[in-house]
Amino acid sequence: MLTVNHFILLSAILFCLGAVGVLIRRNPLVMFMSIELMLNAANLAFVAFSRYLNNLDGQIFVFLILTVAAAEVAVGLAIIVAMFRARENVDVDEVNELKG
Amino acid sequence: MPILVPDINLRIIAPALIVTVTAIVVLLGELVTPAERKRWLGYLSIAGLVVAAFAAFSLWGANASGFSGMVVADNFGLFLTLTIALSAALSILLSIPFIHAHEIDQGEYYVLLLASVAGMIVMATATDLIVIFLGLELLSLPLYILAAFQREDTRSLEAGIKYFLLGAFSSAFFLYGIALVFGATGTTNLAKIAASLAQSAGSPMLSIGVGLLMVGFAFKVALVPFHWWTPDVYDGAPTTVTAFMSVAVKAAAFGAFFRTFQFALPALALDWRAVAAVLAVLTMTLGNVAALLQSNVKRMLAYSSIAHAGYILIALVAMSANGLSSALFYLLAYTVTNLGAFGAVIALSDGARERLEIKDFAGAAREHPLVALALTICLLSLAGFPPFAGFVGKFLIFGAAVETGWAWLAVIGVLNSLVSVYFYLRPVVQMYMSEPAEGWSGIRVAPLVALALLIAVISVIALGVFPAPAIALAAGGLIR
Amino acid sequence: MLTSQFLTYVAFFVLSAIALIGAFLAVTLRNLVRAALGLILSFMGVAGIYFVLEAEFVAIVQVIIYIGAISVLILFAIMLTRGLMTSAASTQNSQWIGAAFVGMLMFAVLFFVAITTNWPLAQPHTISDLIPRLGADLVTTYLLPFEAVSLLLLAALIGAIVIARE
Repeated sequence: MLTVNHFILLSAILFCLGAVGVLIRRNPLVMFMSIELMLNAANLAFVAFSRYLNNLDGQIFVFLILTVAAAEVAVGLAIIVAMFRARENVDVDEVNELKG
Repeated sequence: MPILVPDINLRIIAPALIVTVTAIVVLLGELVTPAERKRWLGYLSIAGLVVAAFAAFSLWGANASGFSGMVVADNFGLFLTLTIALSAALSILLSIPFIHAHEIDQGEYYVLLLASVAGMIVMATATDLIVIFLGLELLSLPLYILAAFQREDTRSLEAGIKYFLLGAFSSAFFLYGIALVFGATGTTNLAKIAASLAQSAGSPMLSIGVGLLMVGFAFKVALVPFHWWTPDVYDGAPTTVTAFMSVAVKAAAFGAFFRTFQFALPALALDWRAVAAVLAVLTMTLGNVAALLQSNVKRMLAYSSIAHAGYILIALVAMSANGLSSALFYLLAYTVTNLGAFGAVIALSDGARERLEIKDFAGAAREHPLVALALTICLLSLAGFPPFAGFVGKFLIFGAAVETGWAWLAVIGVLNSLVSVYFYLRPVVQMYMSEPAEGWSGIRVAPLVALALLIAVISVIALGVFPAPAIALAAGGLIR
Repeated sequence: MLTSQFLTYVAFFVLSAIALIGAFLAVTLRNLVRAALGLILSFMGVAGIYFVLEAEFVAIVQVIIYIGAISVLILFAIMLTRGLMTSAASTQNSQWIGAAFVGMLMFAVLFFVAITTNWPLAQPHTISDLIPRLGADLVTTYLLPFEAVSLLLLAALIGAIVIARE
């Protein structure tokens, strides 16, 4: 019998995978993909709770979060592309004029 | 199925609405404004902010909530709204000459800044975790762009990328925290969360959710150990954007932080107050010690802003009415003081060439006595010297901590203030005691920058000498 | 009845495996295009899970937005910055041991929570008029968030154009 615990466990694993991805990778695009995984994990948790609480609010949140994710992707990729144009290198470790 | 008429009450979101409308008008105005008249878009933005501030004043004491309990116009939120509007207006005054000198004077600069202000107001007045999250995103996304606004400068773009990646990372934590709180209580409404917690004890899941919310807030207000992005972003972003970010984001994020923790989660206070106290100690100490080591003014002010976040967190730990009003007063005092300091740094720059190293300030007092005096006053206020605003703010916060039995935290705060005196005085010593460096001749301070500086310095002194009205206003800001 | 429950059970595990493998590939693969494809695989798995949770509309939106828009945009960005993004240097940064430790710790905590929490939850039952209710909620109870999100999209659009134009 599937319980909400199964879904939350899956969501927790996805969230942690994403978080580790952000922390260990240094390419901004991969870091960004990992952040998307984390948002996706949050969405999964919302939908699972929504079903087991018999409360539609969780699904509404998913739509709002989807929109936020889309807005984030537009802004983030625009900055990354602009950086690429200005300087043909986009590794956060190597992009490092700001240190002190 | 029947559709209920939604609970629309435009009056209570009037400040955010006016700012949004102003942003759209400026966006359209950009199309018809010739390049040499772009500064008028800045004036228009300030006018919109002033109207929004009046709208916030007219709502004072209304204490109305609307949109199905998503947002409230209480004095706490309105005080923060006024602080945010003031910081945005002063930042725009500084920005108009600045972005002209750096050849980035596009109307979109003001549009993005106003959109960010709308997000801040939403965040400061929201009473639902989802709306707080959306406010957070609405304030952050335009700021990522503004940090990267000097597109020719890779340092600015790098600041944008870093701010974006770490901001999005922290929002993910915040969001997961909301999900767990939703799972544990079945709601995201702050009042309903408080009601649900009053009935049943918290679960481990709820504690973890609250912890993740704290991580999200800690990132936004730059608490140690979630602060490491701050110096790089503050250093790389255009100076006016740094000035705006360093004060307004704090006001909005701390507003939501207090609302969430003090009013929705008082039942869990035993758990999170200890964590917050540890964060406050770490933040103050690391911020001040790191600021000691900086030779660049922007980085020094970045670490100083981290330290100030630590002081404000003490007010949250106190978790009392006095703590709340002292935090409001402190945010206002910090806003005018820090904007004054940044304004003076901008005033001393030579067109597009900025003076950002502390040693560059050598002899400034001889060439620009008034600007040097203004910078001195603001730095002394940041350090907490009487009779300036920063002193009163610290006095109130430490007093609130002592009252509620957190005297040791207040002692650490005082010790930290003493350490901070050293690095705040370094630029002052350079300005007054060193021989002038070359290149001072021919620098004229832009009138708008001078105006912003004047407003900031007068406020710093007024809040320091006659703090009573502002304290009364902040005390009226109590939610209950 | 028993068979349908059993099928749901199997579907959950298969789809979970897809989502997890995709996510693992996305965070570990060196080649960016392959990493993005891993991300798409993971999104697909999660969309399947939404079907298991009887949230069909969310599942379809997941496919359209996450896979159709967001992933494709990421692929575009990879193409636009191609060649210079796949350097010979190691893909991991220097702090990966500490990061992995933090990740494991975080997972241990969440695992503990997911396993031990006793959910005081009602039995799920199928909602018949799901989509109309979602639509109605969005423009009544959730009107303010709905408007806030639209402003967010506008700001993001302006910002992206300002920063990325030639």
